[in-house]
Amino acid sequence: MHSVEPQFWMSADAIPLAMVLGTVLGKVPGWVGGLLNSNSAAAEVSPKQDPATVMESADAQPEGPTDEPTAELAEAEAAELAESSGNAMSLVDEMLSRGRYALLLRPQLITNLSPDQLARARSSLSEGMCLVPAGEVALRRVATFTDEVEEPGLSDEAPMWVDGYYLDRFQVTNAQYSQFVRHGGYEQMAIWDPEVLPAVLDFVDQTGHPGPRFWRDGRFPRGADHHPVVGVCWYEAAAYARWVGKRLPTDAEWVKAASWPVAIVGHPLMQRRYPWGEAVDRTRANLWGSGPETTAPVDSFPGGVSVGGVQQMIGNVWEWTVDPLAIDDDEDNEYEQPPCQELKSLRGGAYDTYLDCQATNHFQSGDNALARKHNVGFRCAISLCDFEMFEGCGEAAATDSDQEANEEAES
Amino acid sequence: MNRGVAVELDSYRLANYAAQIPCLICDRGNTLDAEVCRNCYAPMVLAHQAQSRQAAPLMIATLGPSAVGKTVYLGMLLDMLSRQPKELQMSARGGFSVTLQQNTLAALARCEFPSKTPSEPDRWNWVHCQLRSPRHRQPVELVMPDIAGEALFEEVDHPRSYQLIQAFLERCHGVMILIDGTKLQSGSLDEDYFAMKLLSHLSELGEEKNSSWGSRPMALIFSKADQCEMCFEDPAGYAKRHAPGLWRVCQQRYRKHRFFASGVAGACVTRHVQGEGTKSVPLRIEPRGIIEPFEWLVENVVG
Repeated sequence: MHSVEPQFWMSADAIPLAMVLGTVLGKVPGWVGGLLNSNSAAAEVSPKQDPATVMESADAQPEGPTDEPTAELAEAEAAELAESSGNAMSLVDEMLSRGRYALLLRPQLITNLSPDQLARARSSLSEGMCLVPAGEVALRRVATFTDEVEEPGLSDEAPMWVDGYYLDRFQVTNAQYSQFVRHGGYEQMAIWDPEVLPAVLDFVDQTGHPGPRFWRDGRFPRGADHHPVVGVCWYEAAAYARWVGKRLPTDAEWVKAASWPVAIVGHPLMQRRYPWGEAVDRTRANLWGSGPETTAPVDSFPGGVSVGGVQQMIGNVWEWTVDPLAIDDDEDNEYEQPPCQELKSLRGGAYDTYLDCQATNHFQSGDNALARKHNVGFRCAISLCDFEMFEGCGEAAATDSDQEANEEAES
Repeated sequence: MNRGVAVELDSYRLANYAAQIPCLICDRGNTLDAEVCRNCYAPMVLAHQAQSRQAAPLMIATLGPSAVGKTVYLGMLLDMLSRQPKELQMSARGGFSVTLQQNTLAALARCEFPSKTPSEPDRWNWVHCQLRSPRHRQPVELVMPDIAGEALFEEVDHPRSYQLIQAFLERCHGVMILIDGTKLQSGSLDEDYFAMKLLSHLSELGEEKNSSWGSRPMALIFSKADQCEMCFEDPAGYAKRHAPGLWRVCQQRYRKHRFFASGVAGACVTRHVQGEGTKSVPLRIEPRGIIEPFEWLVENVVG
């Protein structure tokens, strides 16, 4: 196991200045610069960005994961906005109140927003999501299922390139998911994967209403509004993500946000074993023996925050990622998935994860895509390139609010 | 001229050998330095440790067919009890008592299940520990073996083929019987039949010794419940639906019984290893329902 000396990590104080400089030099998209300077929440985002990689991501071509159904959904919402131009204000407000700001920032919709609405949508984005810069990340190989010899840099697996993206700061909560349930998410077939449509009717709660498995009467348990939503299968998570204009993160994206790799020329890629460093610390995460033995509010255990500002990457609930569980083996042994089941990747550990070695940034588990478990939730992501697509068309609308924000920041 | 030399006769050494030390399990005498009982193959260290205590240790058996998860359950239980800061805590008496949990947890950390317990009694892992609970004034001494499923199967089918199993079952104060919940769910009746055979075997043992098993506490645990979650919701209902024979025998013959569900792995896949056949691979370890059956059993035994 390699140890990472503190001095290798960029000083948090030095980064905001670098970001502002990047914005001034025009190497960071204008609206991203606006985000970073426009409000206090943005200031939370900026201190831990790596300016060099952000610049790289800004220059990169949009090759990241795209979500065509989300684009279709955005087009549908755009048409709705255009048809009801008189009520556009209220529709936008409704979407913002339901946490669908990412959908509003899609190129199909952004031109319909007023500067004020655009500023609010961007504010919601910076409050709810963290910018993870582009760069390399090494995924732990699953060959031996152990975490001992799979240190990044020692693995024979080449690091992967990940484009810049936004990742939810927190796991999706019951309150957020209830917006999806109450506003017909389970009836909007366009946002569901076609292969799972026959099963959607079976995604019901304890009382037979559409919703997560452990809810009753379409409502989450009392007092659990800020707890992560659990009892949702991979398809429900993916559908919710589309509904809010996002998607599930890839495995590489998840590991990158948690381990925050640093690439120094001539050295192996340095990745943290835990979001807070190299040593296990059960006081920083809701794991077996360290928490309330059930889910905890998503903003609890603040000491477990990642370098980029993402909370509870380790512990509380396992998180679905978009990728299938990658099982391979040095000895060419064959793995057999349970019949009629597709296994999807899970990351991060949960409140009942017993072993320390399974609550690390690099440990990968998996489960049936249709499983609705008591300790599995999710968080969403969105590619930076999805926003870059509308940089040109959104620039005009954004100019005013950006200027105001910059003036505020300067003052 | 010869001079007489007085040579001390270490007769006390001979006396040690002359005094037989009874095996804790079968009561047969053994020499001082015997490692395992010459009759039943139980480790003699249990007898030596028991001599230093006034009260006889509590004995609890963990039974079930081969590959039902007895070793995993016991190892996990011991590890949880020795790590958790809760009411019921366990401390091992002797290093050998830690071996079972160490081997089990080491295997699970590699995302493997521990290898099958050998049939030979002298190769079984034993646990001798102290249980502490605020409900009990004195710590409770506890002895539990990890009995091989194949040996148990043999003993049930051919009584007295394993002296150790017979002697231990006659002495033990309570029993945890593991039943594979996934096999029941798939419609297999083997588990139901095996449990019925086991319960019949126990009831016959009790009659022979005039100490009825009908009044001893019995925890019936559906293992691998993480793969059939309805077990957790209503274990007794699950037994009634999927193991009607077992459920009926329990109702008729055993006054102190209760159904439980437990699981250790969150999810599993099957791996075909060349030359070794098929193996189940646990994808993550998240124990559920491990302590509750044991806690209930201890409460019913100790009172």
